[in-house]
Amino acid sequence: MTTKTYLIKEGYENLKKHGGKTVSTMLIICATMLVLGIFIILLQNVNKNVETVRVQQGLQALISDTATAEEKEYMKDQILKIEHVKDVQYLDKEMAYEDAKELFKDQEYFLEGLENVNIFPESFVVTFSNIEYGDEIKAQVEKIDGIYKVKYDESTIQAVIALSKIANVFLLGIGAVLLIVSIFIISNTIKLAVYSNKREIFIMRYIGATNKFIKMPFIIEGSIMGLLSAIISFVIISLGYVVLYARLPQIGSSLGVFGFMSYSSLWYQILIAYIVLGLFIGLFGSAISIKKYLKV
Amino acid sequence: MIEFINVVKKYNHDVIALDSINLKIEKGEFAFLVGPSGSGKSTFLKLMIREEDSTSGKILIDGKDVGKLKPKEIPYLRRKIGFVFQDFRLLYDRTVAENIAFALRIIDASEREIKVQTKNVLEMVGLSSKEKYYPNQLSGGEQQRVALARALATKPPIIIADEPTGNLDPTTADDIFKTLLEINSRGTTVLVVTHAKDIVNKLNKRVIALDHGKIVKDEERGGY
Repeated sequence: MTTKTYLIKEGYENLKKHGGKTVSTMLIICATMLVLGIFIILLQNVNKNVETVRVQQGLQALISDTATAEEKEYMKDQILKIEHVKDVQYLDKEMAYEDAKELFKDQEYFLEGLENVNIFPESFVVTFSNIEYGDEIKAQVEKIDGIYKVKYDESTIQAVIALSKIANVFLLGIGAVLLIVSIFIISNTIKLAVYSNKREIFIMRYIGATNKFIKMPFIIEGSIMGLLSAIISFVIISLGYVVLYARLPQIGSSLGVFGFMSYSSLWYQILIAYIVLGLFIGLFGSAISIKKYLKV
Repeated sequence: MIEFINVVKKYNHDVIALDSINLKIEKGEFAFLVGPSGSGKSTFLKLMIREEDSTSGKILIDGKDVGKLKPKEIPYLRRKIGFVFQDFRLLYDRTVAENIAFALRIIDASEREIKVQTKNVLEMVGLSSKEKYYPNQLSGGEQQRVALARALATKPPIIIADEPTGNLDPTTADDIFKTLLEINSRGTTVLVVTHAKDIVNKLNKRVIALDHGKIVKDEERGGY
């Protein structure tokens, strides 16, 4: 058995020796990690939906009936020249009618008899590369000759952006608090482990153990706790999300959400986040206690 | 070799624990350190293993200035000194052999070395048949011999025994001293802190007596 193997074994033996405390610590870490995981998922979904809004939402510039083909081409060029405009699509009267049909597919009677009446104006659908400049783009499009009206639902868009910002800050704040709680819990467990191993530590010091040799089993103990908690939390949250995902479309549509991310696009993010977090909590938590309580 | 040159140790600036200590213990020597409680014996040992720093003066172990060692080097100083305590300080959840292997692992010994050396030191202290016993299955004398074996396992040139027989009956104490003499006869420097007057007088070895932090007696073949 090499020294490394021995130290890992000692760390593992410490975990077993402090069995009850280990289990309760891991339960608490798992609980905080699960909450953190739920927040990560929520955050990812909120961000994804905001992204969808960013991509899908834009403005609609209605074209005057008298505009010629050349004038329309010129208008399109002008719009494309505006900063933060991603794309411009021309929508003729037939396409506008098809869109209306799609919009009123459950109430088709609204459109009955309108097939041959040109009530839908031609327009440009303008999408943005950055939605935060929506107001400025709108103002510039309005100035273009031949555009008689600009439809831009800024209130919804701004509300979504504001909401996503609040959600991000809120979730990050809660995440930070939970992280600190987890570090504190591991650090406390390691403190108790240091106390219960006082005799070994005393003997080690007198025999001539290096600081690294004395500290390592505690660092390993903390890291194993963090990693195991991460794996257990990952399994629980994965199962939970898969089960819930089947029911998410109904929940989503009732909340007016565009869609939820599938598990396959999320699992590796959660796994990486958990492993990094688990190791960080374990290493940092044990390091704090060792520095404070293990004078070698 | 252990050398104290004008060593002073003060606590809180005015309490003098050791006062101008000058002494030399040669390689392979056997010496007793005696004195009443509070005379400075424990401080003497603590300074030797750099558990504490001296206020002034110099302590040399095998020619190296203990006070000038970097924190990183202290463990390597301690590996030169095998320590035996009055209360044995064994690990009670490990067998006799595991207690000895524990000391060898600390100095990064290989599995083979651990096996061979554990066998050797147990033979040396006469406990070969009890390697699989747990310390609480042994008598006080046997436990102290395990502690001795552990101190010897790393082959230190110096053994310090702090009241090694303080918890033992006279017959067992005699056995422990026999073992210490045997260890000394193989070339290891042995320094024993003790109150065992009879044994000190009987063995007729060097006696260094401390009182109020000063050396009050240092005799080549002395008594308590």
